[in-house]
Amino acid sequence: MLLTKISQKLLLLPLFLTVLPVVAQTMLPYEGTSGAVQDCGLTISGKVIDHDTRAPLPGATIYIPQLDRAAIADAYGNYHFHHVCQGNYTLKVSFIGYTTEAYSYKIATSSVRDLQLHADAAMLRSVEVVSTRILSESQATEVLGGRELEQTRGLSLGKSLEKLPGVSSFQTGPNVAKPVIHGMSGSRIVILNNGVRHEAQQWGDEHAPEIDALAATELKVVKGAAGVRYGSDAIGGTILVNPSPMPDSAGMSGHIGLQGNTNGRMGTIAGLLQGKLQNQPISWRLHSSVKKAGDSHTPEYNLKNTGFEEQSLATTLAYNKGRFGTEGYYSYFHTKIGLLTSAHIGNKTDLENAIARGRPEETGSFSYTIARPYQDVRHQLAKFKTTYTTDDLGKLLFTYAFQKNTREEFDKDVPRDNPAKPDLHLDLLTHTTEMVWEHTLPSAITGSIGFTTLWQDNTYGEGERMFVPFYRNLTTGAFAEEKWRKDNLQLETGLRYDYKTMDVKTFDSKGALQKPRYTFHNLSGSAGALLDAGYHFTFGANVSYASRAPHVSELFADGVHHGTASYEKGDPTLQSEEAVNTTATINYHSNPRFNGGLSVYYNTINNYIYLQPDSVPLQSNKGTYLSYYYRQADAHFYGADLNMSYAFTDKLSLDTKASIVRAYNVEEDQYLPNIPADRLNAELQYELGNLGNANFEDSFISVGGLMVAQQDRSDETTDPFMDAPHGYFLVQAEAGTTLYFGNQPVEISVSGNNLLNKVYRDYQNRLRFFATETARMLLIRINLPLYFKTQS
Amino acid sequence: MKKFLRPYLAFLLMGSLLTTTGCGGDDDPKPAPDNEEITTVTLTLEPESKGQLVAASSKDLDGVGGNAPVKTPLTLKPNTTYLATLTLLNENVNPPVEVHKEVKSEANDHQVFYTPSAGSLMTVTVTDKDAQNRPLGLAATIVTGAAGTGKLKVVLKHQKGTKAAAPGDATKGETDVEVEFDVMVQQ
Repeated sequence: MLLTKISQKLLLLPLFLTVLPVVAQTMLPYEGTSGAVQDCGLTISGKVIDHDTRAPLPGATIYIPQLDRAAIADAYGNYHFHHVCQGNYTLKVSFIGYTTEAYSYKIATSSVRDLQLHADAAMLRSVEVVSTRILSESQATEVLGGRELEQTRGLSLGKSLEKLPGVSSFQTGPNVAKPVIHGMSGSRIVILNNGVRHEAQQWGDEHAPEIDALAATELKVVKGAAGVRYGSDAIGGTILVNPSPMPDSAGMSGHIGLQGNTNGRMGTIAGLLQGKLQNQPISWRLHSSVKKAGDSHTPEYNLKNTGFEEQSLATTLAYNKGRFGTEGYYSYFHTKIGLLTSAHIGNKTDLENAIARGRPEETGSFSYTIARPYQDVRHQLAKFKTTYTTDDLGKLLFTYAFQKNTREEFDKDVPRDNPAKPDLHLDLLTHTTEMVWEHTLPSAITGSIGFTTLWQDNTYGEGERMFVPFYRNLTTGAFAEEKWRKDNLQLETGLRYDYKTMDVKTFDSKGALQKPRYTFHNLSGSAGALLDAGYHFTFGANVSYASRAPHVSELFADGVHHGTASYEKGDPTLQSEEAVNTTATINYHSNPRFNGGLSVYYNTINNYIYLQPDSVPLQSNKGTYLSYYYRQADAHFYGADLNMSYAFTDKLSLDTKASIVRAYNVEEDQYLPNIPADRLNAELQYELGNLGNANFEDSFISVGGLMVAQQDRSDETTDPFMDAPHGYFLVQAEAGTTLYFGNQPVEISVSGNNLLNKVYRDYQNRLRFFATETARMLLIRINLPLYFKTQS
Repeated sequence: MKKFLRPYLAFLLMGSLLTTTGCGGDDDPKPAPDNEEITTVTLTLEPESKGQLVAASSKDLDGVGGNAPVKTPLTLKPNTTYLATLTLLNENVNPPVEVHKEVKSEANDHQVFYTPSAGSLMTVTVTDKDAQNRPLGLAATIVTGAAGTGKLKVVLKHQKGTKAAAPGDATKGETDVEVEFDVMVQQ
């Protein structure tokens, strides 16, 4: 009954499209066409994109008055008109939140016409959209969404982001991946989960972000210092994890997703249900996912105790009426991650033995059991957001969020006094508030002014190991950013000031309690320009400044790092890091065949905080350990990210991404350790359409390769135990389709990684001393979009 | 403007309210008693025939990092047989924990290895066994050679599930103790 009437179908489609990550190409004959469709055989097709961000606009409507026909852009923004005769046509494009535009073309042959829409500033939905729009313009920005994001479903957030040029990950075994942007990670990167600064124990190399990547419909990365909007510590970049906007038409929809991974025998089930009430301006959403995986394996052996499990739940309730909107959000995330048994070692001799052995001491056989050593982490986020639209001036937004992060780590050996007790237990409570006024002024200026606070309390369990001390942190910040646009030129500038106080409670070497207080003043600023030079060229340039206060772990670290036989010691006198980041980007876009983008950057960081190895090893009753001390020096990070795509035909295209980064310690006159090696990823994709069968849609197949070079900028100082591993080349392939059972689509896809079962080690994996990387894996996904009939 | 300010103030009030109520108690941390440390390693040697007890020790109260261990050397007679016992203490807690007793109770997961710097200095034979008749190494006999100087390395490995059959494998497991004593064999 649902789709009997075409007009009804038309009404439902926008909803349908926002819900379904991969949806059919849709062509809608306009009702009352009176048989005027002329079969002349030409095709007008292309993409509907946002003029500013180049993001596709799924659901946009294209109407040709001359033909009285309409089409709707699919999940990638693509539209098609088939069987068009030669002639002059007007394409009227409209989409909610954008100004309607009309493009006139003379069509003599089948043509590809990309249609650009300008955002209607007064109608933008949320602060996230506005701010990233500004950042994405003159600064290098990458977005993972649509099919590309779908192809990462089942992977962790860190691994998913590796799809983007300039982004890699720092790993501890197969299941812990921390995103790295332009060679920087940890507390130099700010992650915004649903618009809230994710606050956890980011300082640790083996602490992955506690975020369910399955709840996101878009992952956006701002590369380079992006301190103005989200806090001055974002000197490496910002990652935005965004769910889709709340449903804005009545009805209920959702999807159920299943994923399986052959390596580790992982099974995942995720479900989303959302809706809007018929007679009330209230919308709601519920998302949940459960993952369970056992031991991963390399081509040669099982990786003992590398299973993990994860559960997440997120609920949203929103009320929007007239000028007033409010939204409540709560999410719970829990994960338990096993760490490779044989990677837990003691002194330098143990590490040397492990390297000489070439494989883990214990391999065992496949098991779902997670034994010591393991991590058990919980993260809760409660968010309350209110917006109030002021007529001429813009919009006022207030956000309050509370986060509780609980991290427990269990070492390999059971503690003698209490076997159930974790060896490390950290509790971090964070309250953040944000008040932002987004405005549109006459004379083509738009921008936002805001005031933010962050209050934080970190404690550890009584009688447990002190890794980071008790501390309380209050940061208050104020920022303003403005954008001026005229014709094809856009200028932007922003300024931020943060005042941070930190009260620490720690013990000195004699065991006496010390309560030092720290105060930091941190400034951030940015200036940029974007020029639409015509001929499909866009040029962007940006200079930004950010200063990051040292993290408490850099000030007070004092302990052994298991797995690297090293002892780390903080320095309580560290100063703020100051980064000046210059980026230039060129974009060649909206072309039928070749499109591409290049961004180059140079990042000068004064007082860069890093671990300097000491030439004298430490002696103890446990033998010899290497000692590392937190030091500051001036450092330079520079490099380039490139992406290119070439469409051989409508169906066959080649996508290439490459990134290089160099990081140099100017004072010590040497390269910095743990910097990603040069990477090149290429993928040949073939669109199979409906496979000649009406029950299939959007079928595709792709084959690709990832090439990672050896990190040559490494020596005995950066890597004292083992030389940087050799480069490697991996073959990957993907295939997918949408199958229709009546009106019910089922999306099925398979991704294969390391298909040739290559034995290799990766420089960016902390466990490279103990084991090789994981073997061939197949990731199988089934997604079932659901939509329910509205009551009539 | 009035219309504009009203919600702003309401929001601000709400924000400050939530922030202040979020602040909990103001507890101080308590120093963590370190139950796992081995602060004192002592090798006691008793001559088989009559003679004086000899002992060497390595004391490291602050663990890895901080100060290096304070060590005393072994002074032995040449061509003499000694009965050696290894004791491990955690003296950071009161009363001290006798860690060697715990090692003994987990004998199947531990082994002590003795490595003299030269074979001519001494020969070490472990005398105690675990339940599976593999060497443990908390007790040994040491037979010294001719007069000379050198070193004796004492290593305790935690080899849970990986302990090898006799004579054992020093490259396996995780190191709990690794101490090198100076040895003088003299008349």
